[in-house]
Amino acid sequence: MTPNRTFLPSTPEVLARYPALAAAARRNQVWAAAWLIAALALTVFSFWSLGIAFGQIRSGLSQLGWLVAQMFPPSTGSHFPLLLHAMGETLAIAFLGTLIAATMAFPVSFLAARNTTPGTVIHFLARRCFDTIRGVDVLIWALVFVGVVGLGPFAGILAIAVSDAGTFGKLFSETLETTDRKPIDGVLSTGGSQLLAIRFALIPQVLPVMLSQLLYYFESNVRNATIIGIVGAGGIGLQLSEQIRTYDFDQVAFVIIMILVTVAAIDWVCGKLRFHVIGRST
Amino acid sequence: MLVLDGVSRRFGSMTAVSGVELTIEPGGFIGIIGRSGAGKSTLLRLINRLIDPTGGRILHGTTDVTALRGRALREWRARSAMIFQQFNLVGRLDVLTNVLIGRLAAVPAWRALSGLWSPADKAIALSALEQFDIAALAAQRADSLSGGQQQRVAIARALVQQPDRILADEPIASLDPRNSRIVMDALLRINRHFSITVICNLHSLDLARSYCDRLIGMAAGRVVFDGAPAALTDAAARDLYGLEAGDVMGAEPALPAAGAVAGASVAAPA
Amino acid sequence: MVSGLLSLPQERVDQLLATYARAVARRRRQFYLVLAVLALLATVAGRYGEVDLAYLLQHFSNFTSYFGRILPTLTFTHFAADMADWYWNLSGWLKLLVDTILIAYLGTLIGTLGAFATAFLTAQNTAPNPYLLFAVKRFHEFCRTVPDIVFALLFVAAFGLGPLPGILAIGIHSLGTLGKLFTEVVENIDMKPVEGVRSTGGNFVETVRFAVVPQVLANFASYALLRFEINVRSGTVIGFVGAGGIGQDLFVAIRKFYYTDVSAILLMIIVTVVLFDLISERIRHHLARLESDR
Repeated sequence: MTPNRTFLPSTPEVLARYPALAAAARRNQVWAAAWLIAALALTVFSFWSLGIAFGQIRSGLSQLGWLVAQMFPPSTGSHFPLLLHAMGETLAIAFLGTLIAATMAFPVSFLAARNTTPGTVIHFLARRCFDTIRGVDVLIWALVFVGVVGLGPFAGILAIAVSDAGTFGKLFSETLETTDRKPIDGVLSTGGSQLLAIRFALIPQVLPVMLSQLLYYFESNVRNATIIGIVGAGGIGLQLSEQIRTYDFDQVAFVIIMILVTVAAIDWVCGKLRFHVIGRST
Repeated sequence: MLVLDGVSRRFGSMTAVSGVELTIEPGGFIGIIGRSGAGKSTLLRLINRLIDPTGGRILHGTTDVTALRGRALREWRARSAMIFQQFNLVGRLDVLTNVLIGRLAAVPAWRALSGLWSPADKAIALSALEQFDIAALAAQRADSLSGGQQQRVAIARALVQQPDRILADEPIASLDPRNSRIVMDALLRINRHFSITVICNLHSLDLARSYCDRLIGMAAGRVVFDGAPAALTDAAARDLYGLEAGDVMGAEPALPAAGAVAGASVAAPA
Repeated sequence: MVSGLLSLPQERVDQLLATYARAVARRRRQFYLVLAVLALLATVAGRYGEVDLAYLLQHFSNFTSYFGRILPTLTFTHFAADMADWYWNLSGWLKLLVDTILIAYLGTLIGTLGAFATAFLTAQNTAPNPYLLFAVKRFHEFCRTVPDIVFALLFVAAFGLGPLPGILAIGIHSLGTLGKLFTEVVENIDMKPVEGVRSTGGNFVETVRFAVVPQVLANFASYALLRFEINVRSGTVIGFVGAGGIGQDLFVAIRKFYYTDVSAILLMIIVTVVLFDLISERIRHHLARLESDR
């Protein structure tokens, strides 16, 4: 028997002395148990509803092991120039997509910002429009634009442009809403029009922030541009899905490494640029 | 001659300025004094038409200023230059461009939008800066300047508007004593040299007495004193600053005083 | 009045103007340089991206007519029949949509559990072993840098068509992103309780259970919900590569030009995504309030 047992009261004794504490503890336990059971039930239901068999997992895992083993050593499969070109295409898609998206979103974001919108109805419509565009994944846009303009990187550019126009619209309008009112009053008080107040007091405030956001989304679009090729919208993704289809996993590994290296390099460059933009503006 | 005829301004349920009657002759240096929240700042913004009155009229000669719209309104604003407590410069633009903003109402829209200022405008702006010994800073970003320098830039901006009057809203409240004196001297020089009317909100009664030739005391949005600095007795000053606004007025219930100025600074002009 | 202002002699004005022009010239040069580089990059990218503006302008009507064609014909008089026609496969699509959400749920669950199990190993302040920290961190990085759709492609090759590869792909990618976020949460905790439990003689697991977990649970839940939101979105597209969910039907509809099906499925996806965004945002705000009340 440990010594503290002799002078500490037992747990039931303590709980009997503080009924509120006991009730709270019990309530917490019941809630935690309820959440756990609900999560577990949903999990079991999901497995049943999706028809996942454990046999499939077992055989799949061994197949996955074989597949990963095939990846080593990674190989270019003697078409390195082709892969390089595809990677260039990927970067081009990301660059033009981001640029076009920002160009489209910039004017519209003024309609969606509370302090520059001409009316509440327009404000509401612009906001909903951005939300709807953002509700659709970039791969869906890619697939849609492949249907519109055919296979190739142009569809990818349009997909990223439209998908990110929604994101930029939201971000830009939020940036506009956080601006300082004082310089605007300053310009208006000299007899400048609303338009001139935007030109001289608002845009100088928001431009560096928007540039920084632009760079950040260029980074993320490089990632997006690596995958939209899977649905035929240009870039390295096409090569990747082709090689997986033909079971050339050594080349798959090489392409994945290429993607990782490119993404890391772009992140590094954009990080430097972003620092430069923000550093200069503060 | 500028006449305020029963001018009022409400923000929601709060009255910032209520039934102000004033006649302002050109050429004076007028100080508006009173506790913070007495409606001084709102009054200046009303005269510039940065905010619209909810009651009463502002008359200039035969012109009804409160009825001005569009181009005429912008010209009125240009002729009633404002100077703000927080300078209200555009921090990321250089000093010269900030002064040139004072020329916006005078240049064609395409020139203003493209930022292609004429050499004549630049010369005017530089001359104004040179008046306050800061022409050498013309290419620097405005937010890299000290508070005193920024306020002098703001005064230069006001000057190039070729105004008839300058409305200075607590121009020295953010400055140290030395810079306060420089800025007040600059305003006085403008007043004497170019005979531009200066209407200046001031916190400090001492400064108001030494610079102004007429004082207007406000409390709870109303004018409660109007006369020469000498006429402001210590007792009257104590009334103005010491007592609750409602007590001075007697009839009017006490207003949440501190909110009035804050309300004024967030309100957007139409 | 301006004449009064212009009391400066002309040579002084010229001198000041020249000084100003010199000072802004460098800034202006930099600006034009950046513009030129951007224009050059855009031209090169246009080449690589096979942008053909002439073609685009010529066939611009294709562009608009496509979006016109995917819209259903709804008439006021036969509204119910038209709707039924548009959503002819409603029950099938609903089942796929539920699948999508369940895939997102299971994927998020795997990611959350995996990240929960590893975040304490990668946080500087709780990590028991620096080598393990380094290795697990690189693993997280790998999982989040490889896009989930790439994992889905690989897993389809290994596990065959169906939702299982989708779940695993979303799970692994979520593990990577949540691992990083959870690690940051753990690194920002108050260390005093940790020292308290350690001082009573608690081991790694006990310290984490009693000193760290109570501090991080609300933030973990909030991040997991945010991830779920994103995963519902991902769940709608992994079907493109055969990894289950509504994506496979959308893929077929777009590829085979079943125009009105495209808009029907897209509308369902948008409504679902926006709905889940709203719900999860509500819950996350609630969690944030709980956190700030603590």
